[in-house]
Amino acid sequence: MNRRQIVKGMAATVGGMLVLPAWASAWNSGSLQGFQSNFVGLEEALLAEIVEAIIPETDTPGAKKLEVHRFIDKMLADCFDQKSRDIFNKGLKSVETMASKSYGKSYLACTPKQKLEVITTMSKASDADDQGFARLAKNLTIRGYLSSEYVMTKLTGYEMAPGRYYGCVPVKA
Amino acid sequence: MNQSNINTQKANKYDAIVIGSGMTGGIAAKELTQKGLKVLMLERGREIKHPEDYDTANKAPWEFEHRGKVPINSAEEYWSNNRFGTLANEEAGAFFTNDKQNPFIEKRPFDWIRAYHTGGKSMHWGRQTYRWGKHDFEANAKEGVGIDWPIRYEDIAPWYSYIEKFVGISGQKEGWDIIPDSDFLPPMAMLPPEIHFKDAVMKKLNRKVTIGRIANLSQAQPIHTALGRASCQYRNKCSRGCPHGGYYSSMAGAIPAAAQTKRLTIRHNAIAESLIYDETKQKATGVRVIDQVDKSVTDYFAKIIFVTAGSMNSAALMLNSKSSRFPNGFGNDSDQLGRNVMDHHLGSGATATVEGFEDDYYFGSRPTGLYIPRFRNWDGNQRKDYLRGFGYQGGASRSSWNRGIGMDGFGAEFKKSLTEPGGWTLGFGGFGEILPDPNNRIYLDPQKKDQWGIPMIVFDAAFSENDLAMRRDIMVAGAEMLEAAGFKNITTYNRETHMGLGIHEMGTARMGHDPKTSVLNKYNQVHACKNVFVTDGACMVSASCVNPSLTYMAITARAADYAVGELKKRNL
Repeated sequence: MNRRQIVKGMAATVGGMLVLPAWASAWNSGSLQGFQSNFVGLEEALLAEIVEAIIPETDTPGAKKLEVHRFIDKMLADCFDQKSRDIFNKGLKSVETMASKSYGKSYLACTPKQKLEVITTMSKASDADDQGFARLAKNLTIRGYLSSEYVMTKLTGYEMAPGRYYGCVPVKA
Repeated sequence: MNQSNINTQKANKYDAIVIGSGMTGGIAAKELTQKGLKVLMLERGREIKHPEDYDTANKAPWEFEHRGKVPINSAEEYWSNNRFGTLANEEAGAFFTNDKQNPFIEKRPFDWIRAYHTGGKSMHWGRQTYRWGKHDFEANAKEGVGIDWPIRYEDIAPWYSYIEKFVGISGQKEGWDIIPDSDFLPPMAMLPPEIHFKDAVMKKLNRKVTIGRIANLSQAQPIHTALGRASCQYRNKCSRGCPHGGYYSSMAGAIPAAAQTKRLTIRHNAIAESLIYDETKQKATGVRVIDQVDKSVTDYFAKIIFVTAGSMNSAALMLNSKSSRFPNGFGNDSDQLGRNVMDHHLGSGATATVEGFEDDYYFGSRPTGLYIPRFRNWDGNQRKDYLRGFGYQGGASRSSWNRGIGMDGFGAEFKKSLTEPGGWTLGFGGFGEILPDPNNRIYLDPQKKDQWGIPMIVFDAAFSENDLAMRRDIMVAGAEMLEAAGFKNITTYNRETHMGLGIHEMGTARMGHDPKTSVLNKYNQVHACKNVFVTDGACMVSASCVNPSLTYMAITARAADYAVGELKKRNL
């Protein structure tokens, strides 16, 4: 039963360890009192802009329109411990601080190019928490985006029950 | 216990009682009912109706609110399930057993994964299916490990065929002694990098690779469709339960087959507390059952009893069945009951990236992978540092969202690259044979009891130096093969897992010729009480390194055939 899943999970962990700081996967039996949104007003708007910077609207919808920020909120509440949530919230504040230091305005008021610049800088920051924040935000944005109904049905060809299996077909088929 | 509260009606009388509805309980019930016996099957957990109760089976990925990640509260309730894996996730978690409500004690850590419901773990099994070879039954005697098996390959071979036809195994005929061919349905296809790998390691290292032999119907036969089973839909969502019956489970196969005879009664929420032994008749006469919901106690009676509750629970039930004849547990004259806990160790292996094959993709989700049969201590390839060997299971895939986290960049270009298939990777993990050791054991805690008043199980088992040496070699030999195939970025891993995680726990009531050193005879009868048969993993004398369910089922069918013959001869 599901040993393949365990083995796969192990392989993913081996890879995952390289890119995520320890605290991000160190969640365990922490305290959890049901789902309560981590964010209040402005923070949610801020995260919406951050996920949009990571995966922007092009000829297809971006992460903001697909409400990936709400998915992240839910994931943080249910699947991560308080320490991870604290670091994440601290990261949101750092984004604001960096925006006002670099461009003299709030992140929300930055141009798309500036927004992207702030996130890129965070991902390379010397501060371990800032860097961890950027990586976790990216991780969850990708997870939420790629598993969204829009992407799976319109872009990556999800089928509920393929009914057949071919070991080799051209990639564009 | 207050005897006056116990329901002991005559209506509780059957020809046979089967304890457990999982992989082996299902087969026991099927065989016994088809041979004319009136059977009561006891299942300790809740009822799951096939196919309508697989409530997550048809959900799309975006309908799972955490997209498969395990929420913190679930990690706490299902601590054993989630210690190393993500079994109790949103897809199938509700079908695993809540560890907090069903606690056990770890003198040494043991990952005990349970599925208390109709069909038991047969709903979730990995479905990889291999015959044991002749060598597996002979190794203990040859090497002086544990005790000898009382049966040989030839005893079990016809029962392998019989079960394989009923279950339906997809695989490739190879003619290898190390894993004898089954009666196969057509094999599933290998992916292009897998074909390259297979050819390279045969040419350069003389190691074999075949497509994983899997209990999924690549082509349903009349014996399957007669039970409402259909061919595999290639969703690879088997762990959620298959509404099509595309893979074998007790609930899709054996239980419907038994029910068709109209001689099967199933009682759910029925926890077997003890076997009832009649000192004058010197026979077991029934089973005492506690209802898991209302805690009422009922005695059920039968001429024969099949103990198929899962290796650990079968041994625990027998340890808890004490009488003046069996003061140390049912049939435990040898003191071997609960000892020799074995499993397959897993969690070590190797992965690599594959260059090329960018234009190749696949259609559908294949529910199997590659299998690399044991090559160590085989065919002249002797090891000084450990006995026995391991097989690998794995395969190739094109990397998915995980790769995005490691990739540089954000924004539009990054987004574009995400929905394009990533590069190929190929990897596999070892499944290693664990040797029987009487000091690897379970026993009942003398004081602590669960909410039903049944003594809690204490686990006291761990890997040996043989296992640890094998795990190191699993990494080295794995990397060697990936290198032989010309793959890049080879990574090896060896996680510090525990016994139990293989979910192939076995050995706690072993078979043997000598009642002084074993619990069961060659027909799985308790040496000292012939109308009790134990045919699940508890009966195993050694572990081999291949997945065990097929062998359990074949042994069960053989024992059921013998039991009915003995009943007819009035020997039981």
